[in-house]
Parts: sequence; C-alpha cells; structure tokens
Amino acid sequence: MDILSVEEIRKSFKSDFTRQRSEVLHGVSFRASDGEVLGFLGPNGAGKTTTIKIILGLIRPDSGKVRVMGRDISDRGIKKVIGYMPEKAYFYNHLSLREFLEFCGRMSGMKGDLLRDRISELIELVGLSGSEDRKLKGFSKGMTQRAGLIQAIIHDPDLLILDEPFSGLDPMGRKLIRDVLMRLRDEGKTIFFSSHILPDMEMICDRTCIIKKGRVVRQLSMGELTRVGEGKVDIRARSCPQEEIENIADYIEGVRKNHDESIISVSKQEYTRSVLTRLLDCGADILSVATRHPTLEDVFLDEIESGSKGESEKQEEIEAVTG
Amino acid sequence: MSGIKTIALNTFRESIRGKVLYVVLVFGGILILSTYFLSPLSVGSAREKIITDVGLAFISFIGVMTVVVVGSTLVHKEIDKKAVYMVLIRPITRLEYILGKFFGIMTAVLLIALVMGVLTALSVLLGGGNISGQLVAAVYFSILEMAVMCSIVLFFSTFTTPVLTFFFAACVFAAGSLSGDLRVFAEKMGSSGGKLIMDLFYYILPNLSIFNYRHEAVHQLPVPINDLLISSVYSLVYCGALLLLAYLVFRRREFT
Ligand SMILES: Nc1ncnc2c1ncn2[C@@H]1O[C@H](COP(=O)(O)OP(=O)(O)OP(=O)(O)O)[C@@H](O)[C@H]1O
Ligand SMILES: [Mg+2]
Repeated sequence: MDILSVEEIRKSFKSDFTRQRSEVLHGVSFRASDGEVLGFLGPNGAGKTTTIKIILGLIRPDSGKVRVMGRDISDRGIKKVIGYMPEKAYFYNHLSLREFLEFCGRMSGMKGDLLRDRISELIELVGLSGSEDRKLKGFSKGMTQRAGLIQAIIHDPDLLILDEPFSGLDPMGRKLIRDVLMRLRDEGKTIFFSSHILPDMEMICDRTCIIKKGRVVRQLSMGELTRVGEGKVDIRARSCPQEEIENIADYIEGVRKNHDESIISVSKQEYTRSVLTRLLDCGADILSVATRHPTLEDVFLDEIESGSKGESEKQEEIEAVTG
Repeated sequence: MSGIKTIALNTFRESIRGKVLYVVLVFGGILILSTYFLSPLSVGSAREKIITDVGLAFISFIGVMTVVVVGSTLVHKEIDKKAVYMVLIRPITRLEYILGKFFGIMTAVLLIALVMGVLTALSVLLGGGNISGQLVAAVYFSILEMAVMCSIVLFFSTFTTPVLTFFFAACVFAAGSLSGDLRVFAEKMGSSGGKLIMDLFYYILPNLSIFNYRHEAVHQLPVPINDLLISSVYSLVYCGALLLLAYLVFRRREFT
C-alpha cells in the first residue's frame, strides 16, 4: 500500500512586488510505499520544501491531492502517524530541550512516564545527554538539528518527512543522523527526505525522485541506478599518443586528461579488448581498468544539464549541488 | 482538550517569562501601596476611596496593556519564527491552537489581576477600611474586560503585524470604553445617516463601559446581580464570536 501519495500538485505564489502569480510546482506526483526510503533530490529552488509543506498541510495546493495512508491531511488523526523535521529549526527558544520535547510529545498525545522514558531514550540515542536542561536558544546548529530529529520521531510515527536533515552537519553529525534513519528503516518506517547531499542519499535510499523546476523529471530505484551505466569501462593510461586516441574514437565515449594521464571511457564492454590492445601497441602504460557505475550525482547532473538552458545557469546549479 | 491545555500552559509560561511583566507588577504594586502613604491628609473613608479608585484603575489598565502587548507579539512571533509549525503538524486543530493561546494569556493576566487585587485590598485594609463585595465585583468585571480585549487582540494577530494589532486594539479599547456615550451622542444627532454609523459602531465594538464598576466600588453603591449576569454573558458571547472569527481567518492561513 502507498503510505504517501502525491498527485498532480500545482502551486503558485504571488510575487510581493508585481502581484503576479508564478507557478513553482507544475503537477508534482509521486508515491512512497510502506517501509520505503524515498529520497527527494533537486537543486535549490526546485520546490522541495514547498512540496513538503503541502504534504503537511502548512500550504494549500492550487490543485492536486495528497493522501497519507489513503486519508486527507486535514483529517486530524492522520497527523499522529507523521513526523516532520523542518529545514531550519523553528523552536520555542525559551524552553529547555526536555521542556520542548515534553511539549511536542504532549501535543502528539503522549504523557506520563511513557513520554519521559521516550525522551531520555532519544536524547541518549542522538548523543545529547547532558544538554537536557539547557535552553534551545544556546544550541549549536548540529545540536538543534538533533533536537529537530528527536521531536520528529518522539511519537514513533510511521511516516517520517525530513527536509534536508543533513544540511549544516559535520561528518559525525551526518553519520549519526544516517544511523538513526537506517535504524528507523530497519524498523519498517517509511522515510521521505529531501537533500542535495548525494552520497547520503545513495547510502540510505531505496528510491530517488528527482525534481527540477517544479517537475518530477525522473524516479529511479537504487537498483536501476547501478544498472544505468552497466558495461561501461574506464581505462586509465599514461603516455598515449593523441593520434592513437583519435583512431579509436568510434569505440570510446570520451577522454578526460589529467597531466600525462588519460581516462578513456569505453562506450561498450565488448570494445574493451580492442581498445586495450591498441593502447598497448602504441606503447601506452595501462594503469587501471574498471567498470564504471554511475553515481546518483552523475544521474542528477545529467538531468540538470539536459534541460535547455544557458551555461551560467547550469553552472550555478552544479555549484549548488556539489558545493 | 488536552491539546488546548498543553498550548495554554506553554503560552502562559511564555507570557510570564518576560521581565517587563515583573517590572510592571512591582511598579503597579508600589503605586497601589503608595496611595496609602500619599493620601495621609484624607482619612477614613476618603482615603479608602482614593485607594480603591487608583487600585482598580491600575488593575484594568495594566491588565488590558498586558493582554494587548503579549497578545499582539506572541502569536505573531510564533508564526514569524515558524515555531507554530511544531504545533500545526501535530494532531491539534487550529481552533485548539487559538483557544490554547487565549486561555494561556488569560491565565497570565488573571494572575496579574489577582496579585494587584490583593495588593489593593491590602492597602484598603491598612487604611482601616473593609473589603467590600463591590471591590471584588469590580475586579471580576475588569477580568471580563481583559477577556474581551484578549479575543480582539488574538483576532487581529492572526492576520496582521504586532504594531497594527496594537494600534487596532488601542482604537477598539478607546472607542469601546466610550461606546455608551457614542450611543447617547447618536440619539442626540437625530439625523439618520450619522445615527446609523453610530449604531453600527455600537453593535460591532465591544461595549466596554459595562465592565466599569469603579464608581460603584468607590462609593459602595449596590451592584445588581443582573448586571453581573449580563456582563458575564456579554463577555462570553463576545469572546466566543471573536475567537471563532480568529479561527476562521487562521484556518485559511498558509505558512510559507
Ligand atoms: N512564500 C513564497 N513566495 C514566493 N515564492 C516562493 C515562496 N516560497 C517559495 N517560493 C519559490 O518557490 C520555489 C521553490 O522553493 P522551495 O523552497 O520549495 O525550494 P527548495 O527545493 O526547497 O530549495 P532549497 O534547496 O533551496 O531549500 C523557489 O523558486 C522560491 O523562490
Ligand atoms: Mg528547501
């Protein structure tokens, strides 16, 4: 069954100055099935946060439908099964961590010892022990992010929605959040999270949904991802003459040069032997031969670049993604 | 129900957190107590009258001020800083949110009114007077007035800025306090156009003059039980209507 289904969501915002409406989501659709970890990948301004807020009922779509376990988000009971971690921390600064979590837990219908034990357990889990009674105001970015994660899972929700859970964290913090998410995945929770940090996404996602300029441009499972570029081989070689490379141009997809080294991408598995032979014959040193699997990053950049747009815009987006 | 309680408690704690509140309380307390010392010339009932008058005026003024200041900033800040997300994504309706805010703020001002009421009573006792039923009734009426103002402030703060909320609330308060007079004025005007507008004002604005029993308390005049009842019901209905309106506006709001 689909835990989350988003169908043909459209949303436009009024500009403050011109009062004109511009559409930022042009019919976004996707689904997340029970127990799935679905990544939501897209460059800055693609509409990830807007989509997430629509799912949560914080923003109304102009048209389209969101269903969580087949129910509408205005159905108040359904919010019990959803946990949300916002992009930026929006907390009550005057509360201590424990007070804040108690507040959140109570609003989700928890109370008493159960709530207290759960809070202690989660504080321990994310490594915030010792900071229970500190005011949230004084929390660092990483600590706030962890507090944000706790409040999202305090009521043990079946569907977890996280908006850029890894942003602004050091490697340790990233690993910690990743570990918690993997643990939740093992418990069978459905997780939907946005990010532009690709390695994190590759590591924990079952599937990725790529959004660009308000449109879902591609959805692919991690299985598909490893199959996308199957059969392609990269050969790293030193001192190969330029003429020889031109001679084998039909067999190869491209060459990247790095000082006197060349990385030659063979376009088909069966050409590998001939290309290697030619290279050896002309006196090149072969340093390595490896099968190339595309990373999510390759696919992502492909999708981003495939649009018809100016160079500078491309560059901006690439920087946004990699930087 | 428990949602309202949780939000109310949090709101109450945030309301009484500000240092301003304590400053106001201490300042008000000193002022009320000082009337006892500042009126040494007048003795007996005259002194008691001054203390009662000043004390009640202060309770009403500070109570309403607190409601307006806290009410206009609290909700707005919460929306602005997006802390409200943490509430709205949980199984809490927006009506419960509004009601929670209302009861939270009211609990805080109730506390203030009680402290200041006790201080006034203490001054009266020190001055050799007795605590009259009218004094207690007058404080009660003041609280009803604060409740009406609280619902007005919450209504405005669901769609406008703190500054405008404060401004509107001050206007409503001023006009509402004069509401009865406006009516009399309208009767005298006779002309149908002006009268219509005055009537409109009279019915839309809260008639705050029915919550002012200072005169009765000072001069120990009887307060009819009927007045007590009518004012209570009036306050209840007015608050109910405005909180409902606040909810209707809030329900339509988007949080981008
Ligand atoms: N309240 C708003 N008013 C006008 N435009 C908005 C509003 N909120 C978002 N937008 C626009 O909608 C588009 C999508 O924004 P959104 O925040 O959803 O992007 P995002 O994918 O989350 O980006 P990021 O990776 O930077 O967080 C952007 O072009 C943004 O300018
Ligand atoms: Mg975003």
